[in-house]
Amino acid sequence: MGKKWFASLLTVLFVLSLALVGCSSNSSSGGSAGKAEQELTYATTSKVVGLSPILTNDSVSSTVIEQIYETLFVRDNKGEIVPHLAESYENPDENTWVIKLKKDIKFHDGTPFNAESVKYTFDKLKDPKTAAPRASLLAPVSSIEVQDEHTVVLKTEKPYGPMLAALTHSNAAIVSPTADQKQDLMKDPVGTGPFTFSEKVNGDDIVLVKNKDYWQKPAKLEKLTFTVVPEVSTAISMLQTGKVQLIDGLAPELMPRLEKIKNVEIQKKEGTPVYYLAFNMEKEPMNDLKFRQAVSQAINREGYLKKLNGLGVYSNSFIGPEVFGHNESSDKGPKFNQAEAKKLVKDNGFDKKVIKILAANTSQYMNMAEVIQSQLKEAGINATIETIEWGTYLDVSKKGDFDITIAGWSNVTGDGSELLFPRLHSANIDATNLSRYKDAELDKLIDQSRSVVDQEQRKEILTKADEYVMTQLPVLPIYHGIASAAYDKSVKGFEMEPTGQWSLYGVYRE
Amino acid sequence: MAGLIVRRVFQLVLLLIGISFIVFMSMHIAPGDPASIIGGPTATQEDVEAIRENLGLNEPLLAQYFDYLKGIFAGDLGFSYQTKQAVSEAIIDRFPNTLNLAIASIIVAIVIGVTAGIVSALKHNTWFDGLSTIIALGGISIPNFWLGAILILIFAVNLQWFPVGGLTEPFWTVEGMKQLALPAITLGTGSAAMIARMSRSAMLEVIRADYVRTARAKGVREKSVIMMHCLRNAMIPVITVIGLNFGFLLGGTIITESVFAINGVGRLMIESIAARDFPMVQGSVLLVATLFVLVNLIVDIVYAFIDPRISYE
Repeated sequence: MGKKWFASLLTVLFVLSLALVGCSSNSSSGGSAGKAEQELTYATTSKVVGLSPILTNDSVSSTVIEQIYETLFVRDNKGEIVPHLAESYENPDENTWVIKLKKDIKFHDGTPFNAESVKYTFDKLKDPKTAAPRASLLAPVSSIEVQDEHTVVLKTEKPYGPMLAALTHSNAAIVSPTADQKQDLMKDPVGTGPFTFSEKVNGDDIVLVKNKDYWQKPAKLEKLTFTVVPEVSTAISMLQTGKVQLIDGLAPELMPRLEKIKNVEIQKKEGTPVYYLAFNMEKEPMNDLKFRQAVSQAINREGYLKKLNGLGVYSNSFIGPEVFGHNESSDKGPKFNQAEAKKLVKDNGFDKKVIKILAANTSQYMNMAEVIQSQLKEAGINATIETIEWGTYLDVSKKGDFDITIAGWSNVTGDGSELLFPRLHSANIDATNLSRYKDAELDKLIDQSRSVVDQEQRKEILTKADEYVMTQLPVLPIYHGIASAAYDKSVKGFEMEPTGQWSLYGVYRE
Repeated sequence: MAGLIVRRVFQLVLLLIGISFIVFMSMHIAPGDPASIIGGPTATQEDVEAIRENLGLNEPLLAQYFDYLKGIFAGDLGFSYQTKQAVSEAIIDRFPNTLNLAIASIIVAIVIGVTAGIVSALKHNTWFDGLSTIIALGGISIPNFWLGAILILIFAVNLQWFPVGGLTEPFWTVEGMKQLALPAITLGTGSAAMIARMSRSAMLEVIRADYVRTARAKGVREKSVIMMHCLRNAMIPVITVIGLNFGFLLGGTIITESVFAINGVGRLMIESIAARDFPMVQGSVLLVATLFVLVNLIVDIVYAFIDPRISYE
């Protein structure tokens, strides 16, 4: 009797748990039901390193920094650069930027926002003693002068075209000088933004509250919490049960599960990141244009998009559709042509050498490496994949210890010069120029794109440079990124920028 | 007993110096540069060089180590390269979470493990024994990330009896206990299985001992025979297993902490290793090593209480 009873209980439990697991992705919770409080919790997979725009350079920190601090200029919905804390600007000559600032703005600690605070912030960002990770943003600026209370003058040695784009970068956000001298902004930040820092809880979670004295209409959300959930599938479960309301940077393999959850909305926006192959131009056979053409024709890039569940865009250009300098009509890059690729491989003996593809061990890069490896094999090129952990990858890739590497560039300023200069200019070999590409003609074009101040002219130069890249192929863009987020249906007014960043200023819950 | 403690503390100091040296050197020799990671992929060579100088990474390695060692003896574990937070502060923030989880898990493990072990031994070769052996084998074999994910799907997402993750409320509140339940079960299952197997075999050995037969022959009640004569004598190996498991749990459990979004020492350690945040890695490894040694010391002391035949004099 006892045995039977126990066995039946076990069977029932087993069947029940299977049924529950089976229907889990379809069920939705009442997490968003009831009267909505104006609070929002965002889950991220890694922790916020710190809250000083000057001392950090990771995307999670900038997400929080964007809500607390503001920059002189921002990109609007159309990607155009418009003044934000700045009122207007003018260039009396190519090396001088006179920036007029908005009046009557105060930092969260009551310090007035003025030309002094801009000078203080930029001087600190540039000071080698600060060791700011993005000091290079303002490296071309030689002096920052206060003309009057609300006018600041930036001078450069040479004309610097991407100046405004650099000033939209969250690392160039303005900090309160009094607060910076008094406290550690990494822990206790003070900016001019729509949300103020409230507290850090449970080790890593950051709580912000509405800035009631904001210089525009105050935000609608009263409280924001940024919490760390390292496991994405746990974060999705939390979204499903209403414990968090927003996650972003979605991975393609998660899309099917997310799309089935009833209380969740997904937003996708064509973005600025580019994911590409970098050829090591100092090694054979990568330094042979025919080899690079063979590889480029062997890979079905449009076909690869199907694997991304809608999280990528194809464009036969290195400068992506959402980046300044992109030209839709230009199509000089290679096309998928396996027969031609096979012929090039056979004629030039590229099948005799084994190529090493280096990739950081994230699922996105490893998937790319595997698909590329198999397509190269079909064309007759033998490749092995070496995957290494991110910290090691940063070092190894900069030293050029690979034949081909899978790389990405998020392009937070949305400007083509800020992609070509770090990634392909010879001045950045051993650092960001992973292809180790040294080409006088491209260097010249990139220098021009940085030194011309007229934006129309810059665009033409960038298009020309992009076409040059797509014919010389030191890199092969595989796809351009899509910024993505998933949020609870009670969240309204959420709008992502092409860079993947977002502000919660206009967001509310209902 | 006092001699044992003094000896162990002295050993601990030597051990910690050794560990600090090994961890320090292995972190510095391993590939990956903290300055490049702080700078990120967009930093120029100048940016990275300035960060390296600022962190003092250009000093000779041994000089850096002795500076660090001096700091430890002055009670200063240094500052995080990445967040600039004091290492001791970061550990103090997270350790309570790890401790709560470890205690809850070991309670789950002891209750399930010891009970199952004893009953299996008493009902040796019956269906219960067979079943519990199979379950124990399952408990040891099931990976934590799988069990955690399944428990979340069933009990947090579908039934909504427990929260999905997080450990934000104090453990003595109902909400705190609910937050601890699933991670404690996930983590406790593996340990429970080990404890069950150990209790079973220890009990089986003792149950056949002459003094147990004598006790029964004297007419001692079965309950007293089990609790007083068998259990106490069977406990020595079981306590060793419990001690080892508890020490291990105190070191932070990376997978369970990640799956349940618990901000504990394990997660701190893995994040710091990924960021090459040397001071943070060194600080947390030293903490874990110290705890492990202390837990083992306590286990040794407990032996003497349980079995008066054991003496350390």
